[in-house]
Amino acid sequence: MQCFTLNRRQMLGGLAAGAGLSLLGPMGRASAAVSEIVWATWDSNGHPEYVAAFEKVTGTKVKLSFLSSEDAQFAALKTGSASDWDIVNPSLNGSWRYIKAKVLKPLDLSKIPNLAHMYDVFKTTDKVKGEDGATYAIPYLWGLNPIVYRSDIHTEEPTYSTLFDPKFKGQLAMRDYALESIAIAALHIGIPRERAFLLTSDELVEVKKALIAQKPLLRTYWQTIGDLTNLFATGEVTAAFSWRVPYDALKDKMKVAMAKPKAGIMGWCDCFGIPANLSDEKVEIAYKFADYLLGADYASTIADIGNYATTSSIIRDKLSHEKQEAIFVDDLSVMQNFMWPVAPDNYSEWLKVWNEVKAA
Amino acid sequence: MMVRQRHLALPVAAAIVAGCLAPLAVLVAFSFYEVEDFDLVPAFSFRAWGELAVSSTDWFLIGKAVLSGLSATVFTAILGYPVALALTRLATSGKGLAIIVLLTPLYTGEIVRIYAWRIVLGGEGLVNTLLQGLGVIDEPLKFLLFSPFTIGLVLTYNNLPYMVLAIWVSAEMVDRRLIEAARDLGARPVDAFFRVIFPLTTPGLAAGSLTVFALAAGEMLTPSLLGGTSGSTAMALVDNLFGTAFDWPLASALALALLATLFLVASAMAGLLLRFKGARAVMGRV
Repeated sequence: MQCFTLNRRQMLGGLAAGAGLSLLGPMGRASAAVSEIVWATWDSNGHPEYVAAFEKVTGTKVKLSFLSSEDAQFAALKTGSASDWDIVNPSLNGSWRYIKAKVLKPLDLSKIPNLAHMYDVFKTTDKVKGEDGATYAIPYLWGLNPIVYRSDIHTEEPTYSTLFDPKFKGQLAMRDYALESIAIAALHIGIPRERAFLLTSDELVEVKKALIAQKPLLRTYWQTIGDLTNLFATGEVTAAFSWRVPYDALKDKMKVAMAKPKAGIMGWCDCFGIPANLSDEKVEIAYKFADYLLGADYASTIADIGNYATTSSIIRDKLSHEKQEAIFVDDLSVMQNFMWPVAPDNYSEWLKVWNEVKAA
Repeated sequence: MMVRQRHLALPVAAAIVAGCLAPLAVLVAFSFYEVEDFDLVPAFSFRAWGELAVSSTDWFLIGKAVLSGLSATVFTAILGYPVALALTRLATSGKGLAIIVLLTPLYTGEIVRIYAWRIVLGGEGLVNTLLQGLGVIDEPLKFLLFSPFTIGLVLTYNNLPYMVLAIWVSAEMVDRRLIEAARDLGARPVDAFFRVIFPLTTPGLAAGSLTVFALAAGEMLTPSLLGGTSGSTAMALVDNLFGTAFDWPLASALALALLATLFLVASAMAGLLLRFKGARAVMGRV
């Protein structure tokens, strides 16, 4: 049997080595750890409490940089004025232009294990892929854009054609946004939903006529969701193509409801993206954050506080039916009716039409 | 001494010129660029200028900006004169207080003012509620909010302080003995105003007019949030072209065309106002 002996010199040497290793350990972590990452996102997606769990586990603080508009985000990335952003928030329908403009890094999906829990409709989308086949963005948060309406005034659930009905003249509002407003007018005049975002020039002429005819019926075009909530609260508007925010804000104060038109439900989806110029030392923590956005902590908190659903099914079965209903995951067949607003190739023509309608 | 004072002004003047000319030079250059796959490509292309030349929407909105600026100028001048002249008759302490009151609307942010106007002019707002309460109307007056009337009203209100201040400074410099002499010679108050006070205060009117015109013609937020479906502006279109459309050449060309048009109209206004005899007397070399 071999006897293990330790003399004083070996003992001191061992202690020194141990001390060195114990010092190197944290140093190693410190060199890899990042004290702060900046997440450019919408204020509704990035409350401090939504990211608290991530900060606790990783020790990395998430600094929130709220976006004013997606266009501003794109312009900032394109012109290089957003050099402090570490994670950005392209929309699913707008990802293509970030990819085409080469402002996002291609992603290594093996570093995001929670991708396994994503709903298929998001997992299989090609909208986040470049021509090279690489994935450049990860859908993480989604919802529906319903028609919000005053149920005490509209006794029947509104459809998109309600927004063109002279019976409600002066009580209606549309969003000041070419993509959705033109598509809604297209559905109203009978263009099938598969082609609502693929209009020809001739169809755009017809849509323009419908939108100009609609103008006298509208109280206004809403600019921000706070603006529209205010319009409902002050009685100026009784039905509008909307986001769900006015419903949540006003449901306890007045009779409001949400309609999901059968002609096609406009969906929205926000994505995670890494700016192309992000330094290597921050890339690892960015991947951890992507995984966090698809994990249980973020999904639970944002469902609880914000009434939003992530693209992951990870907590769905643990939610009450009421909560599932509130965040639109009670009936998953809704995902088959999504219309994803995607800017078409002739989008400049759409914008021209929209500007002509507003100036008419 | 005068030479030294001019030297002192040079750095500031240079900064102003550089701050004005540099962005303009960039806009001119961009207006000849092309956009390819979201990249601005230096080129000597007339595509943007060609599109602008034939776009009735763009020129309509430029004309609308001019009209908006002119109407705000006229309304603030009509409303501003009595206020400015009344200010000259206050005691010094009263003038200080009156100026603070006059500027009070400017201390609040534009968004706050906009939402306040909605509360005042809305269908369930103060004015409609009052009129209905008094039995003057049965149904709310919808045109009060989200109409061209609203835009005109709010632009006039927002810009009134600038006009009043400019006229007031000018009116303070009018020798009151001239007014008294006019009255002694038999001029009615209205004649004294049009033949003595108005000509001698035209430099102030010109300064106020140019300020109000520039601010009102370039306003985007008020028409957008209070003008309803008639709230489109050339500035909003420029914003749209720079942002959503990423068509920086066309946005630059439109911005330059708008600027040139407003500059021409403002120059014509200044030339017209400073042709008055009184203005020449005050300004000396005009």
